[in-house]
Amino acid sequence: MLFPTIDFAVFFMVVFTGSWVLRPHKVAWRVFILAASLVFYGWWDWGFLYLLMASIGINWLFGLLVHRALTVDGERTPASLWLVRIAVVINLGILGYFKYFDFFVTSIAERLNSLGISMSTPVLQIVLPIGISFFTFQAISYVIDIGRGHWREPLSLLDFAVYLSFFAHLVAGPIVRASEFAPQLDHLPDPRYVKSAEAFMLIFRGMFKKVVISSFLATQVVDPVFRLPGAYGRWEVLWAIYGYAIQIYADFSGYTDIAIGIALLLGIQFPLNFDSPYAATSLQDFWRRWHMTLSRWLRDYLYIPLGGNRGSKLFTYRNLFLVMLLGGLWHGANWTFVAWGCIHGGYLVGERVVKERWVGHEIGLPPKLVTALQWFLTFNVVCVAWVFFRAQSIGGAFDILWQVVAGSGTNSGVTALLIFVIVASVASQFVPNSFPRRVELWFGRLAPILQTAGLGVGLLLIDALGPEGVAPFIYFQF
Amino acid sequence: MTSSGRPGSPLRPPAEEDEGFVRRVLLRPFKSRHPGTMPAGLVLVIMVLGLSLAMVLNAGATLRKSNAKGDGWRNGVATVIATVSDTFQFTFARSRIDAALGKNQGSGIDAAELVRRQQEAEVAQQQADALEAARRPPVITAPTAASPVHLWVGGDSITQTLGASLQRVIATTGVFTSTLDYHVSTGIARPDYFNWPEHLVKGVLPKDQPSILVMMFGANDGQNMTDLQGRALQRGSPEWLAEYRRRVAATMDLLKSPTNDRLTIWCGPPPMGPGSKVKGMDEINYIISTEASTRPWIQFFDTWPFFSDANFQYTLEAPNADGARRVLRQKDDVHMTVVGADRVSWAILNRISKLVDLSAGRIAPPASEAPPPEIVERTEIPPTMPGAE
Repeated sequence: MLFPTIDFAVFFMVVFTGSWVLRPHKVAWRVFILAASLVFYGWWDWGFLYLLMASIGINWLFGLLVHRALTVDGERTPASLWLVRIAVVINLGILGYFKYFDFFVTSIAERLNSLGISMSTPVLQIVLPIGISFFTFQAISYVIDIGRGHWREPLSLLDFAVYLSFFAHLVAGPIVRASEFAPQLDHLPDPRYVKSAEAFMLIFRGMFKKVVISSFLATQVVDPVFRLPGAYGRWEVLWAIYGYAIQIYADFSGYTDIAIGIALLLGIQFPLNFDSPYAATSLQDFWRRWHMTLSRWLRDYLYIPLGGNRGSKLFTYRNLFLVMLLGGLWHGANWTFVAWGCIHGGYLVGERVVKERWVGHEIGLPPKLVTALQWFLTFNVVCVAWVFFRAQSIGGAFDILWQVVAGSGTNSGVTALLIFVIVASVASQFVPNSFPRRVELWFGRLAPILQTAGLGVGLLLIDALGPEGVAPFIYFQF
Repeated sequence: MTSSGRPGSPLRPPAEEDEGFVRRVLLRPFKSRHPGTMPAGLVLVIMVLGLSLAMVLNAGATLRKSNAKGDGWRNGVATVIATVSDTFQFTFARSRIDAALGKNQGSGIDAAELVRRQQEAEVAQQQADALEAARRPPVITAPTAASPVHLWVGGDSITQTLGASLQRVIATTGVFTSTLDYHVSTGIARPDYFNWPEHLVKGVLPKDQPSILVMMFGANDGQNMTDLQGRALQRGSPEWLAEYRRRVAATMDLLKSPTNDRLTIWCGPPPMGPGSKVKGMDEINYIISTEASTRPWIQFFDTWPFFSDANFQYTLEAPNADGARRVLRQKDDVHMTVVGADRVSWAILNRISKLVDLSAGRIAPPASEAPPPEIVERTEIPPTMPGAE
């Protein structure tokens, strides 16, 4: 079920009512939310539910076994370590099967064919269940956290099922930790103080980003140009590259805005997932602002276990690079994602080297100009990396970049509206966070009838400004 | 969930309880102990009223979309709401916005009727010599470098890559000029969104004056349609298939040249991959091929074998004539890669060369781009393909 649809609106009215009515009844509320989440997920394909329920059962069981294998003081034992490793392998095995099997087999076959050994490729055309990465990552974090002794008691099966399947974050995050979510299951929010103004603004903002901005850029410039860059002039390609940067941000952050708003209406608080990433003045800063819950996951469950910065500089650089490389591969089985990860990893390492070497050195430029240059460089590096992320192949990415240099043509696709949308979207990153908060408070002070009118007219404008139909969110595929 | 006057209540003091609910709660600015918060009950009222308001304001557009893709009860509900909203003029604002944005507000019925009227006019005009002309294949003068033949290629977004490849491929012969004219998200199921028959008759034929047309639709046609009587037809139902056939036939008839000097290569859509969720391409191929078989000016081109394995099932990659396997389709399992488009473009040129004398041109497909010789069009197109998406 997609968020910006009538189906979801009806679904959510029922869930909202049921949730607040049943909230005082712990078990009934949990069963209700679980059932609602399964309906939400099964709406795409009821077959996916088997995988989700298997993930719930397996990881809950491992959580229990790992906890039992710890000492009474919550210290790790060899048995607990092995159980955690097995759980991680099983989770990654399932994820790998769905995401990488075809790629792996095809790559091996190509390699063998190039060596003169004929091998037919049993490509299975495996359909990737929506959101598999997100709930798998959450499940892994749960088992690892228990293994680290962060949990004194494992969750009950029902609590764990609600945590893993909660519909608001199920298919595209944010990646919420059990330690953030589980306490909210027991905490009874006061139904007199629902954070409606913040929630409505988040949902409205998210829908505008997705339905209007993302769809406009996709159909206007990004899809046609990336499909056939040779047919476009350099300025069209350049704006398509910037357009894609905005499109993917609007699409993904739009989804999480809606998800956070919806959870908020049910009295559940999610962590922030985006914080004006295109205002970043370094790539390190960018990763503190972009898909923050994934960055946090990669830091805690990959970077730190790899050794983090507890070693030589080279050791730290290696870990940084590896984390970004694996982060790239997580997006899918394609060399383009590997390239994307390498660009981010390589640039992060380069950034560290430069900072360590040049920190404290005066370069004789005004600080504001230096900050502006840092922003410009960071933004463009991120955009170049997005080219690899979006392109069909490495060659295709270079075709697009080459077209910026060598492309000729009328550039008739570059319209004033297109430039305005992209520039305004980038500019919006520099709006202080206090501004949306002030708008929320203003909206919250309006008479309910005006809020109702605002909601109705807002949805009218979003539907009118958007294209026919709603495309799936980009990050559903990951 | 609320009890005004109670300690901690976010609502107003008891003195205001005498006023009606609407005046007391809905019309006055809400003051909560925690700014930006409201009782859940009031939030529900706002959401229900707000969504209801949006529903009636957008009723016309919702019905338009529902006619295209909505099924069963959704379409019934949308029709009722649109009727009520129209009666009270609630859709006025949306209509004005759509008009300002240049959005086509047709319900789908007008466009279909336009096709019918065009068809009737054409049929009346051709009635005298229809039987005789219909039996004659079109005659295209053999092109030369000095007098090239003009080819128009168009269709949906798949045709973007296909068209660009075909333009490049035919340019190598030196006896073609060409135009690429694709429109994303289009087909013949939604004339309210983009009216291809109208575009062909009013735009392409008089302005471009092509002697050869190469076109492909279908990937966006997997949605409900409205028939001439305004009934919504469920995608894939016998009625839907009959209406789709009628539209294909009408479009083909519109492409008939009175002087019989125009050839149309109508390409069936290729199989779609499992990740695409696009289905029914086999049925569309069958309809196009059978309708083309009775019209000499239309030649059906079967793209299916060029994008499938030995069992005619979707394949992401396949070897070209040089034996090297290459990826034929983009990540979405729908669009062609340049490699895939090149592969089928050489096959289309080969087909054209059998219908038009291209001896003045040079046709030399590189083995790295052309399909292997054993890949050929099917001799018979089945009504459905087992396992086809």
